[in-house]
Amino acid sequence: MAKVKELARKLEEIHKKIRAEIPWELVGPTPMPGIPDLRQWDMRLLKTYAPFYSPFCDLCCFCTYGKCDLTESRRGACGIDIATQQARFVLLACLVGCSAHAAHGAHVLEHLLEKYGPDKKIDLGGSISIEAPHIRTVLGLKPETLGDLQVALEYVFNEVSHLLDSCHTGQEGSALDYESKALHAGMLDHVGMEAADIAQIVGFSYPTSVADTPLVELGWGAIDKNKPVILVWGHNPVTSTAVIDYLREHNLEDKVEVCGLCCTALETTRYSDKAKIVGPLSRALFFVRAGIADVIMTDEQCIRTDTPQEAAKAGSAMIACLDKAMYGLENATDMDTDEIIRRMIDNGEQFAILDSAKAAEVAVRVAIEIAPRRRKEWLTEERAIELAKKCTNCGMCEQVCPNLFNIGDGITEVAKGKFDLIRQQFLYCIGCGKCEQECPNKVPIFKIMQTAASMEKWKCRAGRGPIMDTEIRNVGAPITLGTIPGVVAFVGCSNFPDIDDVAAMVDEFAKRKYIVVLSGCSAMAAGMKKDQDGLTVYEKYPPNFDMGGVVNVGSCVANSHITGAAIKIANIFAALPLRANYEVMADYVLNRVGACGVAWGAYSLKAACIATGCNRLGIPVVLGPHSSKYRRLYLSRKEEGDWRVMDARKKQIVDTKEPAPEHLAYVCETKEKAMPMIAKLCIRRNDTPQGRAIKLNHYISLYKKYIAPGLPEDLHLFVRRDADIPLVYKKEVREHLQKMGWQPREPVGLPTLIGTYPSKVPIDAVIH
Amino acid sequence: MSAVIPRHRVNVLTGIKAARLIEDPAEYADLIKKAKRPLLVVGPLLLASTPDGKVLMQYALDIAKAGNIPICATAQTRGKMVELGVQPDCVYDVVEIVNALKDPNWRGVKKEGNHDLVMFFGIRSDLGNQGLSTLKHFAPHLKTMTLCKHYFPHASYSLPNFRRDAKWLEFLDALIANLKKGE
Repeated sequence: MAKVKELARKLEEIHKKIRAEIPWELVGPTPMPGIPDLRQWDMRLLKTYAPFYSPFCDLCCFCTYGKCDLTESRRGACGIDIATQQARFVLLACLVGCSAHAAHGAHVLEHLLEKYGPDKKIDLGGSISIEAPHIRTVLGLKPETLGDLQVALEYVFNEVSHLLDSCHTGQEGSALDYESKALHAGMLDHVGMEAADIAQIVGFSYPTSVADTPLVELGWGAIDKNKPVILVWGHNPVTSTAVIDYLREHNLEDKVEVCGLCCTALETTRYSDKAKIVGPLSRALFFVRAGIADVIMTDEQCIRTDTPQEAAKAGSAMIACLDKAMYGLENATDMDTDEIIRRMIDNGEQFAILDSAKAAEVAVRVAIEIAPRRRKEWLTEERAIELAKKCTNCGMCEQVCPNLFNIGDGITEVAKGKFDLIRQQFLYCIGCGKCEQECPNKVPIFKIMQTAASMEKWKCRAGRGPIMDTEIRNVGAPITLGTIPGVVAFVGCSNFPDIDDVAAMVDEFAKRKYIVVLSGCSAMAAGMKKDQDGLTVYEKYPPNFDMGGVVNVGSCVANSHITGAAIKIANIFAALPLRANYEVMADYVLNRVGACGVAWGAYSLKAACIATGCNRLGIPVVLGPHSSKYRRLYLSRKEEGDWRVMDARKKQIVDTKEPAPEHLAYVCETKEKAMPMIAKLCIRRNDTPQGRAIKLNHYISLYKKYIAPGLPEDLHLFVRRDADIPLVYKKEVREHLQKMGWQPREPVGLPTLIGTYPSKVPIDAVIH
Repeated sequence: MSAVIPRHRVNVLTGIKAARLIEDPAEYADLIKKAKRPLLVVGPLLLASTPDGKVLMQYALDIAKAGNIPICATAQTRGKMVELGVQPDCVYDVVEIVNALKDPNWRGVKKEGNHDLVMFFGIRSDLGNQGLSTLKHFAPHLKTMTLCKHYFPHASYSLPNFRRDAKWLEFLDALIANLKKGE
């Protein structure tokens, strides 16, 4: 009885927070869900897509009971086994990732609340009425003001604490329950990212309700080193926008160059199309060591822990602008501005300045003062040849290279005056600098690689934020019927096996009329290649969320708009209520929205969390080879898996025998393998015969182009009846099916997982 | 624990159970011959060629032929195998074949039961090691072996780090010769 009362009190509290009395939609079954509330949905997913663990280490060294050996079915001193330890580690990674985005959002929000107050209205323009699909779906709240975003973030922080608690030694003992918690963290992450980006759009007047955002300059060649150069680096735009404001106020915008690395670059170009993008994280250390930046300003996430040392070596001034990374520097937030500037110029001191306006003023004035005195020159080929002669090609560099290539071969070639190999190797380089650290002959590898770093400049479309409701209305039907073959989202970091892979994949899918969406470092990498006509993918393809479009939504936190678009299809196109109705939304996306994420260079904890959030929402993710080190995938066993669904119209459970989508988190070794896999993971049970034929046409042709002649070995699993066979391959496929002993089967009218597992959601809730 | 440090040190910290290093091709051949249901998993590094123009995949095909071992083609390797006149016995990607192998009840490529020895050949070392780690921890019913030129700590048996490719290719030739003995 006491428990019932407690639950009722809790629900009342939630209803108050989400203003349940405002009837924009009825409140669904899971407002502000806690850990157990969506557990049954997770367990249903995990039944088909079981966790696949690849331990990075045999041991657990989490507490003072250990180190504990977990090999050969041994358990640790606390009782944990190797699978549960991997799952716990994945959850921890997801929690760090989720916290990074949500805390970023909280910092931006705090800054904006101080400036505008909590009642500033959220207005994303005339073409976006569902402003926050995640917040509406997960919390049940329709955020109207900046203050409402605070409610969303407080909910995220509260849940994160509970999840983190579960990681303590000697607690959760089930790998599957840890996975459910990781999926919960992933869902929360998309709420946090959405709150962060909405705050930014509202507070910094970023583009919104527009597709055709400016094309901004990208690449080292775009940066005018003859001007004072300020490099903004990280993810949080509070300081970089303050720099632009200062320059505008002092009529200096054309006199000082502002360029960015990582997501801050994307954020800054959403604020000013005069700002430049240096490139993704893999190009950061090269650029910093080149000394082109007069002042380096760091904010948070992916900014390297040795930035002060590297800046000092390059002779660049440096300011840490956020409390997340203060680097042991003196906190000069309250110091007199002139005094900070004097000490930076005269003594070369570095400071932490947590007041964005003050940091901006200091950066601009210091840059203007020191730029004329600094020599900023790229290394010449002649000098590179001289430096390369110290290399004995001992192979030590290869031993520490995370991308497993021997830079020594490239350097030896440079010593002979040949640069082709090192230019090729530069495309594989993830920019960690471990090779140079290991070199016994102190060869300045990074400096030599400057000669390989292209001076070319490219174009990147400025991030546009949410997908417009009007666009969703146009594509909802063709996506769910399958006649638009899929939405492919290239997201995440720059730990690529080859940076050129991204542009190649974007081009392939845009050409085939998929909708291609991009964010973060992948959005930059996609722009770093020109076709034979000298065009990047952003110039070659339209910016609309429509077939054949190439859409840059923005930085990491803008990833929420990609998953948000999937929710909007269910809500706007299919008219399913979304308010506190997560299971119905996720079920719709899993069964009917042919979307696939591609995190080809994922390295970060944030990327792990973003992908896990996609998975809970029913969106599969293809990862590059490095991501096997995340330790966990979600894989089905193809035809041996459980592919039963409920036909909601007939209220009957049907065994579709169709692995669609086949996996939820999958690693590919090569882009050649990834191409047909992406096409396959866009297949959904809801496809019409026409839509399925289009999807199979791409699956088969990509297989033939990149894998081998002939047909995919598992093709028979995805052909339901003759009408599904693409016309162009009709004869070949029919012969193949006959050999396989294939039998036709009826497509399911309204496929859903609801009804196949214990859930509060009635089957009728999925009928629209 | 073996004192061997893997070529790619990013994979070095395996913990306490590391591969037995074997440098004798005859011993390697004996292990393969003793297996009842071996499987050779080939990866895209075998699409490269030796300095004298021999495709590395040919070594895999020769080993499979000499040892009567079924082949699983991963990534885009099926194309090259077909070009060389051999159809793979199955096509899975690395994570898929590992996922199947870790199930003791899987019936294997030939539908005769799960395999008892799995050889990795031509898979990049980070991904290969992670797949071998899965099998080390979750597939106690089978042994694993690598044929690549670097040490793979998560395998049951591994070759050493060959400083020179020629030595590694010599090993492979000797392995093929040993497998052919007593055919």
